[in-house]
Amino acid sequence: MTVTLFLARQELNASTISLLYLIPVIISTTLWGLWSGVLSAFAAFLAYNYFFIKPYYTFTVHNTQDIVALIIFLIVAVVISQLIGRTRSGLAEAVARENETIHLYQLSLELAGASSLDEVASVIARKVDETVHTTELELSIQPIYEKVAFQFSIPEGRQSSGEPDQIIPLETVRAFLGEIRLWLGSRLLTPAEERLLKAIAAQGALALERVALAHTETQARILEESDRLKSILLSSVSHEFRTPLSTIKAATTSLLSNEIPWEEPARTDLLMAVDEEADYLNYLVGNLLDMSRIEAGALKPKRQWNYLSEIVESAADRLHKQLSNFQLQIDISEDFPLIAVDYYQMEQVFTNLMNNGAKYAPKGSKIQIKASLQDQDFAIVKVTNEGPQVTPEHLDRIFDKFYRVTEPEKVSGTGLGLSICKGIIEAHGGRIWAENIPGGLAFVFTLPLTLDGNPPPHIEVESI
Amino acid sequence: MNTIAHVLVIDDEAQILRALRTILSAHHFRVTVARDGEEGLALAVAEHPDIIILDLGLPDMDGIQVCEQLRQWTQAPIIVLSVRNEEGDKVRALDKGADDYLVKPFGTQELLARLRVAQRHAAMSHGEPDTVIIAGDLVIDLARHIVTLSGFEVKLTATEFKLLAYLAGHANRVLTHQNILNHVWGPEYRDNVEYLRVFMSQLRKKLETQPKHPAHLISEPGVGYRFVTD
Repeated sequence: MTVTLFLARQELNASTISLLYLIPVIISTTLWGLWSGVLSAFAAFLAYNYFFIKPYYTFTVHNTQDIVALIIFLIVAVVISQLIGRTRSGLAEAVARENETIHLYQLSLELAGASSLDEVASVIARKVDETVHTTELELSIQPIYEKVAFQFSIPEGRQSSGEPDQIIPLETVRAFLGEIRLWLGSRLLTPAEERLLKAIAAQGALALERVALAHTETQARILEESDRLKSILLSSVSHEFRTPLSTIKAATTSLLSNEIPWEEPARTDLLMAVDEEADYLNYLVGNLLDMSRIEAGALKPKRQWNYLSEIVESAADRLHKQLSNFQLQIDISEDFPLIAVDYYQMEQVFTNLMNNGAKYAPKGSKIQIKASLQDQDFAIVKVTNEGPQVTPEHLDRIFDKFYRVTEPEKVSGTGLGLSICKGIIEAHGGRIWAENIPGGLAFVFTLPLTLDGNPPPHIEVESI
Repeated sequence: MNTIAHVLVIDDEAQILRALRTILSAHHFRVTVARDGEEGLALAVAEHPDIIILDLGLPDMDGIQVCEQLRQWTQAPIIVLSVRNEEGDKVRALDKGADDYLVKPFGTQELLARLRVAQRHAAMSHGEPDTVIIAGDLVIDLARHIVTLSGFEVKLTATEFKLLAYLAGHANRVLTHQNILNHVWGPEYRDNVEYLRVFMSQLRKKLETQPKHPAHLISEPGVGYRFVTD
């Protein structure tokens, strides 16, 4: 710049050159801020003085007019550079504010998406870390509802290193929920950072409180629902128990009374009714026990290698009375692999599914049990009956406790059979569902073929 | 059995005691009852019963513990009463010396069958064990290693015979999976139930009239197997 102007020294007069010298001042102020602007104003003044004011190549000035021009030039340079500098810092502030707003907006979006205390805590910690680039950070949350106090640190698993440099509380109008502890190394927080941190803390605290309240509400709803189910259970159970008890009471009091000398066949008939009803009561109690075990998560299948066909046959034997009016067809091939199941529980599943068919399907119809391999990992078992189909909206729900498609008065049972099946199959790592098939209904379930990662054993049978 | 067998029943439910006392007396057993573990142990020492019926759910102590203490000094057969769905308890009781179990609620016929087996077993331990076991059409000659079904000899492999012989040697009594595996295959196989499944299935095919509805080689789900003679 100076060189160009120096070459043109003869053509331009001093005041033009002084005006041209404002260009570098403006450029440097725009690019590097107020102080570099002022600095370049001085540099421009000195260069102008040295090269363009007679005598050349000295800083001395003789012409008074030049001195005045020079001072005005300096003032103008400084004023302009200051004005530009101020605009610049105003702009920088505006950008910073915009960044803050974006930060907070993102924070509120992420917090809205977080549904657990841990998620909220991790969002807050991450945001704080992004904002101030701490060396270490720790978020400690007070015990809220059933959750115990917990901490969240960045870097993960850090060991506490002395007193934190800054502590920001996480609190709402209602409660103190915890605090953010920061280790900043040697630096201090800028006012802007501090402001942003407070905003993050305020939003974070609100989000924590929201999650806590939502949880409490869910808990209340679950309790309400479980109360409702319990009362359904009690009424259903009392109804179910009273029927066999009535039979037993009637039969035994008749036999005890001396009014009628009972003939032998009549006596046997009454006693058999008592015997059958006692078995039915035992079955009901068993169902209730199974259900309470499933509910409590205490149904731990004792998985051992078993032949599925043996279990099915045993269930069928137990149900022979209920199944006597049906054609039972069991399709499980001789070479079907051993399968790791709890014998007793699987027998229960087959009993309940066949019993269900026997209850709803017309007499004389077919109940079929078919097992095949779905793929390398699962066996698939189908228990089908020729009973009425179930509308699609009921198909999933029939596995719910007490869920009945038909009126409870029309069919006996606790309404627990299918949900017990579901509990047992799921405890085995399988899945169960119902399907409408042409002319009937199929209960389908899968069972894993492996046990602790081992495939079904193949045992060589020795020859004679 | 010329003398009347003496049965000690240890159970805390009054109605069960009342029913058992009536039923067993009618079937010519002498019956003593105890309402808890302590009383049961004391009465066992004082009266030397021939057979003990023990409920696993007692108010004062664990039934399995009672079983263990009894076994320290008496060989009298112990029949455990338990509820269904607690296979683990049954296996533990059998491991601790119980001879058999009955699942509540049980029928009288079942109870009497168990008592007969227990009596026979108690008598047997004094004399020579049977070497020929007859179960319907099935005859197992343990000494001569010959098995016949309806008079025709059935060829069995070495392991099949060993398994059958062990089960038949303890006819009508339940044997746990581990016990059988341990005895027939060896201790290192005691958890390999799959061997039992495969070999029992082979035996059923060879010896049962209806292999899918066995009459003699009976599964006790979650516990073990029982060879039933009648």
